[in-house]
Amino acid sequence: MQSKLVRTLQFVSIALIWIFVISLDVWIVSLLFVAKKLNDSINASVGIGIIAIPLFLTIAAILTYVFLGLRKYSGETESSDSAGGRGTK
Amino acid sequence: MLAKQNNDLDDGLFYSIEYTSPKFYWVMFALFVVIGFAAYSYLMQIIIGLGVTGLAQPVSWGFYIINFVFFIGISHAGTLISAILRLSKAEWRRPITRMAEVITAIVLAIGGLHPIIDLGQPGRMWNLVTSGRLQSPLLWDVTSISAYFAASTVYLYLPLIPDIAILRDRGTKPQWLYEFLSWGWHGTPKQHHILERAINILMVMVIPIAVSVHTVISYIFAMTIQPGWHSTIFGPYFVVGAIFSGIAALLIMMIVLRKVYHLENYLKEIHFNYLSILLLIMSLLWFYFTFSEYLTTYYGNEPDEMRVFLYKFTGGFAPYFWAMFACNFLVPVTILANKKTRRIKGILIASISVVIGMWLERLIIVVPSLANPRLEYPTGIYIPSLTEWSVFIGAIAVFILGFVLFAKFFPLISVWEIKEGREKSISEVAHRLQSYLPDNHDELEIEQALK
Repeated sequence: MQSKLVRTLQFVSIALIWIFVISLDVWIVSLLFVAKKLNDSINASVGIGIIAIPLFLTIAAILTYVFLGLRKYSGETESSDSAGGRGTK
Repeated sequence: MLAKQNNDLDDGLFYSIEYTSPKFYWVMFALFVVIGFAAYSYLMQIIIGLGVTGLAQPVSWGFYIINFVFFIGISHAGTLISAILRLSKAEWRRPITRMAEVITAIVLAIGGLHPIIDLGQPGRMWNLVTSGRLQSPLLWDVTSISAYFAASTVYLYLPLIPDIAILRDRGTKPQWLYEFLSWGWHGTPKQHHILERAINILMVMVIPIAVSVHTVISYIFAMTIQPGWHSTIFGPYFVVGAIFSGIAALLIMMIVLRKVYHLENYLKEIHFNYLSILLLIMSLLWFYFTFSEYLTTYYGNEPDEMRVFLYKFTGGFAPYFWAMFACNFLVPVTILANKKTRRIKGILIASISVVIGMWLERLIIVVPSLANPRLEYPTGIYIPSLTEWSVFIGAIAVFILGFVLFAKFFPLISVWEIKEGREKSISEVAHRLQSYLPDNHDELEIEQALK
């Protein structure tokens, strides 16, 4: 029961990470629109946006890759010697 | 069998997690008292307004911005140093990286909050959300610090997963927390492959982010035409200062934690020696940048710039300026350049001196330029109030609290990396040596020699 709950919470946490990162990116995009509307150094704003948006997406992608990957291969215990140890083939 | 033996060898690293001494509660109590007083002071500031601080025109930035720059600088201790050591495959990094990464995560959180405290009413942050100007260096700061905080926290967490799994398997409480955070880690080859790949990507990513953070912080000052701030070398100067103070903070934490948690077997003289040599190099580099910065101002002899220059060298801020010079250059170089004094006690004195010196440097950068603006104002006066002092001391208490709590739930030294070092380091180093030695040495021969 606890395992199931923990697993559900883990997937919820992945969803929350993406909600957070997408919100951040939406905020940056909205500031780009504000800059465009006010004709306020739009080029500089685009420059920052180009760096910041992919950066946050990459961090979220790395976390998702690790979390899902670890979960996917968590059943493969026969070749490992301990939790913290490097498995031997 | 080997794995079991290795886990037994490192059992001591779990002691502080699995057993709680009465001292722990006393420390927590003391920290909460200090933090409580700081929180009360801040609450008063919210209710009464920024009038409770020593801030006034023309000195509108004081302790909060000084501490913001200072704490963010300290954050370079961690992820940057850890990433560089990992990237360069420095074997001696293994017991250091975790502590370095923890420092980064905690001080970034503390430092990042300071501009909000400086706003007076925290609700003003909402203006940033609705009508922030992305072309402003202030918003570059928000973006780069958020990115650095996110990357550093992930970079701290990912290498922690195998150790969390060990705690889960040892039945350490709270079980649900370790089960949740370990993501089903069992140390299988595929799981290792995934984790190592992610760590490798992160450590490459985190270095430019870390450098960008302090460069961007310097832009808050350098992008203005305020005398003493408008300098092209402010970016690298701030980065050098940040790494300098970061290494010093890391050394202090290593020495303190070694004593408190009895880590003498892991943090050996050699670790302190290597890091202190790095501190010595940074001290010389800091002096070079400081000299370049002030020489160009002096040679230019521009009246407004000279007003700030003289205020620092011979005026009201001279005691702080020369104290900074002594703390950042004279003391560390005298102690660390001499092999006899480059011992743990000497390194601790040098590191404390550098941390104080770097705080003074932030003070010297922020206040004198504001106190001597281009306009025909009389020289401004800034005396920090009790509120500002208590928030500053509270921030330091939060830093200690963060460390104490982290040590209560997670190992301060990366157990799996230590274990990996025992199992693989010698053959890896032998392989590396064989690949770059001019003569054709046998790898096994080198391995034997290393053993």
